[in-house]
Amino acid sequence: MNLALDLDKVSKAFGSVRAVNAVSLEVPYGCIYGFLGPNGAGKTTTIRMIMSILYPDSGTVTVLGNPNPEAVKDRLGYLPEEKGLYKKMKVGELVAYFGKLKGLDGRTANTRAVELLAQWDLADWLDKTCETLSKGMGQKVQILSTLIHQPDLVILDEPFSGLDPVNVEIVRELILTLKRDGKTVLFSTHVMEQAEQICDYLVLINKGEAVLNGTLAEVKSRGDQGIIVDYDGDGSIFRQIRGVSRINDAGKQAELILADGTDPQAVLAQLIGKLTIRRFDTREPSLHEVFVRTVGGTSDA
Amino acid sequence: MRRILLMAQREFTENARTKSFWIGILLFPVMLGLFMIVPELLERTKSARRYAVVDQSGWLLEAVEEQITITDLAGALRTAAARHREGKTDTTAIAPVLQPIAGVLAGLSDPELAAVATAIVHEALPAGLPDSLAADVTHHRAAVWRWWNTLPASSVKGFAPGSSRERYVRVTPSGTAAANQDSLGRMVGDGALFAYFVIAADPVTGDAGSRYVSKNLTDSDLREWFGNLASTQVQVRRMAQEAIDPAVARWIQTPVRFEPRKLSGEGKEETVNANDRLRQWAPVVFVYLLWISIFTVTQMLLTNTIEEKSNRIIEVLLSSVSPVELMAGKIAGIAATGLTIVGSWMLFFVLGTRYLPGLLGAGPNVDLSGLANDPVYIGSFLMYFLLGYLLFAALLVGIGSVCTTLKEAQNLMGPVTIILIVPLLAMIPIGKDPNGTLAQVMSFIPPFTPFVMMNRAAGPPTGMEYLLTAVLLIVSIVAALWAAAKVFRIGILLTGKAPNVREILRWIRAPVGLVPQRRQ
Repeated sequence: MNLALDLDKVSKAFGSVRAVNAVSLEVPYGCIYGFLGPNGAGKTTTIRMIMSILYPDSGTVTVLGNPNPEAVKDRLGYLPEEKGLYKKMKVGELVAYFGKLKGLDGRTANTRAVELLAQWDLADWLDKTCETLSKGMGQKVQILSTLIHQPDLVILDEPFSGLDPVNVEIVRELILTLKRDGKTVLFSTHVMEQAEQICDYLVLINKGEAVLNGTLAEVKSRGDQGIIVDYDGDGSIFRQIRGVSRINDAGKQAELILADGTDPQAVLAQLIGKLTIRRFDTREPSLHEVFVRTVGGTSDA
Repeated sequence: MRRILLMAQREFTENARTKSFWIGILLFPVMLGLFMIVPELLERTKSARRYAVVDQSGWLLEAVEEQITITDLAGALRTAAARHREGKTDTTAIAPVLQPIAGVLAGLSDPELAAVATAIVHEALPAGLPDSLAADVTHHRAAVWRWWNTLPASSVKGFAPGSSRERYVRVTPSGTAAANQDSLGRMVGDGALFAYFVIAADPVTGDAGSRYVSKNLTDSDLREWFGNLASTQVQVRRMAQEAIDPAVARWIQTPVRFEPRKLSGEGKEETVNANDRLRQWAPVVFVYLLWISIFTVTQMLLTNTIEEKSNRIIEVLLSSVSPVELMAGKIAGIAATGLTIVGSWMLFFVLGTRYLPGLLGAGPNVDLSGLANDPVYIGSFLMYFLLGYLLFAALLVGIGSVCTTLKEAQNLMGPVTIILIVPLLAMIPIGKDPNGTLAQVMSFIPPFTPFVMMNRAAGPPTGMEYLLTAVLLIVSIVAALWAAAKVFRIGILLTGKAPNVREILRWIRAPVGLVPQRRQ
């Protein structure tokens, strides 16, 4: 099978802590793959092994068809969660520098850096030092540094963290563009809504293990049916409703997970008169629900 | 390899843009220039000290004055003679009045010139001058004497450099002030006089009552100069009183001097001159330079590593290069920076010693150009800078990789600093005895080798010693870099508390490819 990335029972321990435990993963070419999981679940360690920054204790990592990930480092683009820039370096030079480290020749790297910065409305910053950039612009420059060598597999560790909504939109657009260009994108996040919106495949990592893995639909089918209620009033009322197994109440919107065989209409009937209901929507469970249930379930076990 | 060069190049360009890089480059020529120029300038700008003398003896001041005049005039004649010998015969070099006799003077020895000066001042010919000379002196005596007495202060420097007139001017207070010590005291008080002397009534019998009064007692030049002259004159009187032949007295006072001789490599005795003494101590200066440069440059590496780590840029880099490549790139980049700095120092040194004296129009007191052209000094300096840097770079890059803040690094730096201080402490003892046991033993302790071997350059050590210590040093550099690489590849990704030494040692012992456990 032709895979961009193939992890086979990869494990990694730091002392007595098993950071990653027998994780297997198959990422086809040209998809967007979401890496989900709570903080400290082992997402970054897994990514570092893919980038051959760390080496697995056991298992194999095959990247772009090559069992030695180090050999294809130049075809990978990696944006770490903790991002940094050389403060004293000029923006244009910095972007070109990372391209050169990835094997671009000097001239190509320089021209591409100029083009990319212009595309991303950063042309004015070409000759300014990185310390003059605002946080959002700095993030953009880091992303450009990751992409300048046109990698086949792009790995973004928490690309949305710390971004304002405008920049979130830009990064999302970028991920979709990469997919359209036939690149493979793997990104980690703990914000489920973002993953739900753009991912073709998902893997949920918890305590170093891949607990859910598959297409978005497959993952979601693991959860029970739910109802979304937009409401005004006292949300504590939901607890008195019969046939509801779980409640994710956010104050103005609540997700009610139905016990098997419960009719949504019966739930609606119970709510009428007790709350002002603005929307009542039956739907498959949100990723958030799947996530909380799976993670919560394993931690109870 | 290409990536290592890329990183080194980036490191170098970034450093070359900092102010401290240029300060580092310019520091040395500025210091060298100051070392050569400032004494000269100080000498030039020093204003003459004004003093007065209250002579209660009635004769001593006069005798001293005469002695001063003879000494200074002899100096002027010596200058004229020397210039004539060098072929500088225009009237700015030799006063018109001396022009006709300059040729004769040029043929005389220093004691003979002193005799001529005495003859001019005493207006009488002392015994022992050749007859031909006597005629010349008699003929020109009056004119020279008039010229010397009317020579303006501004010209003294030109025709009689080093004359006491440049430094000390005796003031004769007018009227009642002359006898009144209170008013002299006031003049010292308001700065009109630097000091005044009181000569006791009978200095030949004893010095009771002779005084030197000044506000500044730390500068004893004037007191010593005048005191020596006065002593000489008093001694002449005492000898006359006791009917002692001055020649006998001088002979009795002649000390036994042991002339220092240096044993050359071929076992021959050679006389020691100022340059030999310079060569003996120049290594100490080089050791000091070596120490400063190694210390600052490795410090640069440390801060740089920590900065990059706390900047979070490390992980991006590690996605493109391996940790060992990253470390090599950093060390090479900073090495290039350091070599540029010390290389430019040496260049300034060679050029400065060759051309600066010419530009200043005066020869320096000591000749540094011989030193600058000696490969033992400059060659070994650059070599030992590189080797010493690599050894300490391995230590510091390892330390830098495990720390997240400079403060943490300071704690781990402690032992390294202690190691670095030892060669500084040993600098003077080794300079005195460059081939002694201490020097030989310390040469074989790798962290000290660069400093100690530089220190011993005056010895110099045998070729075998150079070879063995270099081999040992290079082996330790390789070992240190290998250990540093192991620490670096683990430490560089760590955040939070720095590991302790035992933990670091465990990383070094662990086989490559494994990340040993880190106890929380």
